Amino acid sequence: MSGATLLILFGSESGNSEDLATIAEKQAKSLGISPLVKGMDEIGILDLAESKNILIFCSTWGEGEMPDNAVDLWEAANGDSAPSMEGCNFAVCALGDTSYEFFCQSGKDWDEWFEKQGATRLIDRVDCDVEYDEPAAEFTSQALSLLATAGSDGENPSGGEAAESPPVSSTQPEESDSDAEQEESVGGDLEGLISSGDRSLVLLFGSQSGNSEGLASKIAKDAKSYGLEGEIHDMDGFDFNSLSGKKRVMIVCSTWGEGEMPDNAEDLWQFAISDSASRLEGVHFAICALGDTSYEFFCQSGKDWDGRFEELGATRIIDRLDCDVDFDAPAAEWILEALPSLAAVDSSGHFHEDMVDSIKMYASGSSAGAEGEDGFSMPKIRSDPIQVGVSVFRFDPETSTHGTDKWLCSLSGHLSVMDVLRMLKSSQDGSLTFRDGPADDPNTAISVNGRLILPGLCRIDSLAPIRNDSISLRIEPLPGFEVIRDLSVDPWSLERKRESSEPWMVAATREGANTPQGPIGTMDPTVASSIHETRDFGSQNILHSSSDAVPHANGYLGPAVITSSWSRRIDPRTAPSKRSEIDQLLASRSGIKAETDLAPIRRQPSVSSAVYDALLGAKNSVLTADGFNGKHGKHVWWYTWTVKSSGMVNDTVIYRQAMGPFALLGNLFSGVTARMVLGFTRTGGNMFNGMLGMVAPPAGIGKMPKQFNSSVDNHHQVVAIFNEMDGRF
Amino acid sequence: MALKYAYHPGNVAHSSATEVSQTMEPTARSLGLELHPMKGATSCGAGIIRQANDLLQVTLNARNFAIAESMGMDIITPCAATAGNLNEDLARLKGDSLLLTKTNEVLQRTSGLTLSGDVKVHHLLHVVVDEIGLEKVSQKVRNRIDFPVAGFYGPNMQQEGFCGGDDAFDPQYLEILIEALGGKPVLWESRTQSVGVPGLFSEERTALRQIASVIDDAKSEGASMIVSACNLSHTALDVYQGKARRVTGTPTNIPVIHLTEMLSFAMGHYNNRLAQLRTRISVIGD
Repeated sequence: MSGATLLILFGSESGNSEDLATIAEKQAKSLGISPLVKGMDEIGILDLAESKNILIFCSTWGEGEMPDNAVDLWEAANGDSAPSMEGCNFAVCALGDTSYEFFCQSGKDWDEWFEKQGATRLIDRVDCDVEYDEPAAEFTSQALSLLATAGSDGENPSGGEAAESPPVSSTQPEESDSDAEQEESVGGDLEGLISSGDRSLVLLFGSQSGNSEGLASKIAKDAKSYGLEGEIHDMDGFDFNSLSGKKRVMIVCSTWGEGEMPDNAEDLWQFAISDSASRLEGVHFAICALGDTSYEFFCQSGKDWDGRFEELGATRIIDRLDCDVDFDAPAAEWILEALPSLAAVDSSGHFHEDMVDSIKMYASGSSAGAEGEDGFSMPKIRSDPIQVGVSVFRFDPETSTHGTDKWLCSLSGHLSVMDVLRMLKSSQDGSLTFRDGPADDPNTAISVNGRLILPGLCRIDSLAPIRNDSISLRIEPLPGFEVIRDLSVDPWSLERKRESSEPWMVAATREGANTPQGPIGTMDPTVASSIHETRDFGSQNILHSSSDAVPHANGYLGPAVITSSWSRRIDPRTAPSKRSEIDQLLASRSGIKAETDLAPIRRQPSVSSAVYDALLGAKNSVLTADGFNGKHGKHVWWYTWTVKSSGMVNDTVIYRQAMGPFALLGNLFSGVTARMVLGFTRTGGNMFNGMLGMVAPPAGIGKMPKQFNSSVDNHHQVVAIFNEMDGRF
Repeated sequence: MALKYAYHPGNVAHSSATEVSQTMEPTARSLGLELHPMKGATSCGAGIIRQANDLLQVTLNARNFAIAESMGMDIITPCAATAGNLNEDLARLKGDSLLLTKTNEVLQRTSGLTLSGDVKVHHLLHVVVDEIGLEKVSQKVRNRIDFPVAGFYGPNMQQEGFCGGDDAFDPQYLEILIEALGGKPVLWESRTQSVGVPGLFSEERTALRQIASVIDDAKSEGASMIVSACNLSHTALDVYQGKARRVTGTPTNIPVIHLTEMLSFAMGHYNNRLAQLRTRISVIGD
């Protein structure tokens, strides 16, 4: 984020404006802006001129008058010593009451004054009626978002143009014509922008091992899709001052040794930092830095170029990307934002921010219609900024300490969790560790509020309910794995389990069907579909973590391995010997019996019903093969049997039959029996019932004691259902 | 006007968790709920019968739904496991017309009943928050539950579409209810975790570790008591907490009561039990 400073001024009579200023202060801090909140009576008019970014919340009093604490400042502002406000960005939120004639007059006065003094309007003034919360919050979010994305103080985040449209009043429905504008852009101006004038993109690479050069080549190829002509230049021998006549520059540069430039970049860098270097006003630039986080001066060369271009007056079109050794995925994501932004710079050097989305659509080949209308891609539905409380699990393996970091941000709801993590890493804490990658990369999986998700595929506003206009995200590593650092887990424990399950196919010899093309192996379509559905569970890490038993059951293979094995088991191509091996695996202590509860798996949105069915199928197969013997079998058998016998569960029978006399004796000494029978910690349940439940019926009798579990009404119907559905009970 | 429901008490409210059925009745009376027993209703299967025969459990529950439909009422239950299992089978029947047809054929032959699928299944918690409203509940409070309480939901009913207007993964109904009863809700992560009840008899050590982990989380966050929305989890967290401590070495001593107990105590029923609970919290609890 920007690190910009911001003066938040309030003119307040009843305290509403002051409250809004305080809220804006908190929000600004969460965005990396340094805010200073002042009442209008706490600041002199000359102090205003020193501020480069000013946000004003001002109410109106009486017949369009300034509130008491703003009167003096307003008088000074209209006196002889009124300063010039050139180079200052401002935005005004006016509070008022439509039942008065001079609605929001004070805010309007300040708005006009700043404009008259040469300041640049950041966003249109908003005039709030007595119900000011919502429009004021929207105003604050928009203004701060613009400031947060801006560079240094005084830079105009809205692209150098003051807003030209008339102020919008929140008392009337705000009609956005952005869609119409976009349509026009796609059909008219866009063509003009990308097909006329200078469309060159200077791509400079500073490379030691060839990575930067390779990446620059790729970017040059991609640039064509955005109507740009990529010109790749080795930094070695490049004329730095020739850049002053260029409009678009991208640098891809690695770092060498202790934060040094690569060999081919050293001379150019020395020239760039000399007094001979030309100013670069009018140049828009983007920097992709390659590095290695294991070195102290991570991506230092890229940072140096970034800072120097800014010093020379060039305009940063997108935040610098600092890549670790696995740079492919983050670079690819960054390029998708950098190239359309650079392409939106016209031949005069003016950046058309409103054209960026149109250019993206153009590049993706979907300019003829809205995103998603081709039937193949889902449209990205955008949403307004919302307050997001983000709490991220942190773990430092060097000190073996863990904790939670929390941020309060104003973010658009359509951002993905991966976007948020990248933003936090780039702007808040570079040491934040998570697995980055393409949106559908199964290894990026994390837990958000207990939902196990791929962070690139989930919008933040879909992961938690909006409460009090904000949402809370609790981001944690996947449970059931060893944490390497922060959100990054070690998947090898699962890989070793998968390996131990010998997941490979051992094919049976089958008779092929004679077809016009010759003999060919066939499979029933429903069976093929079932096998495919079962195996198609996306991220095996997510499925493994979805079991609440996994972190507590030593050796348990977990649902991912069980599901894979089961799909092999039901595959008609599998050899009988292999099926037998799988049966043994599933029935082992580490197999499906080790799963204590399937409900946590079923409730995960990422886990399909086919997986749940597969796990149930595996359990049923194992229990049936065992003849419902052993603790697992007896538990299921006697539970079902008691329901048939009376319609209700008789937990005494199940307890005795499933556990047997030795385990019951164990419970007698472990306190379980005492707690159950004597109500030791209970709140006074009927002790007598509990006691009877423990002593009768004797284990092994196998008769239902009618006195403890009378049958439900129409019990014969229950028996009839059992007889029809399953004659075993 | 009283809200009328077909009442399914859950699987163990008549046996090892009698306190649930005892306190449900006065709670309903205080809240203006009319509970009509579902005559002939069977166990929901608790996901156990499903392990023996999936379609058997679905058919038994189809009969339960048909009984409620014949009463012209939706089903209410105080047990999260029952709410989850009933909702799961109801969703399957509603979403698979072929299954519904075949199941109805069996029901017709065996019971003379037919299921249309119009019935709904509610947990008591969702009825209290969504239908009765917390304002009305707080007006009924006679004894404030004025200590830190950790609300436990379990995993069964915390599924999309099964938990009323609450969020499946970041629920707050128990928390706002505790607040309405004068208590201090504890925010803790394990409130939707499983305590392994279906595996308690067969994979006891794993289930005990799950129980200890959940209790430890609640205690770490400052809870003086756990209130469970699930009959089965309530029993496991209470009865097995001592054994869980022996197996894991984790301190697990904490009172665990059911949602119906908390509601009935707050509304002035069983004052002696509430007094006993207060004593346990102040003397026995860590």
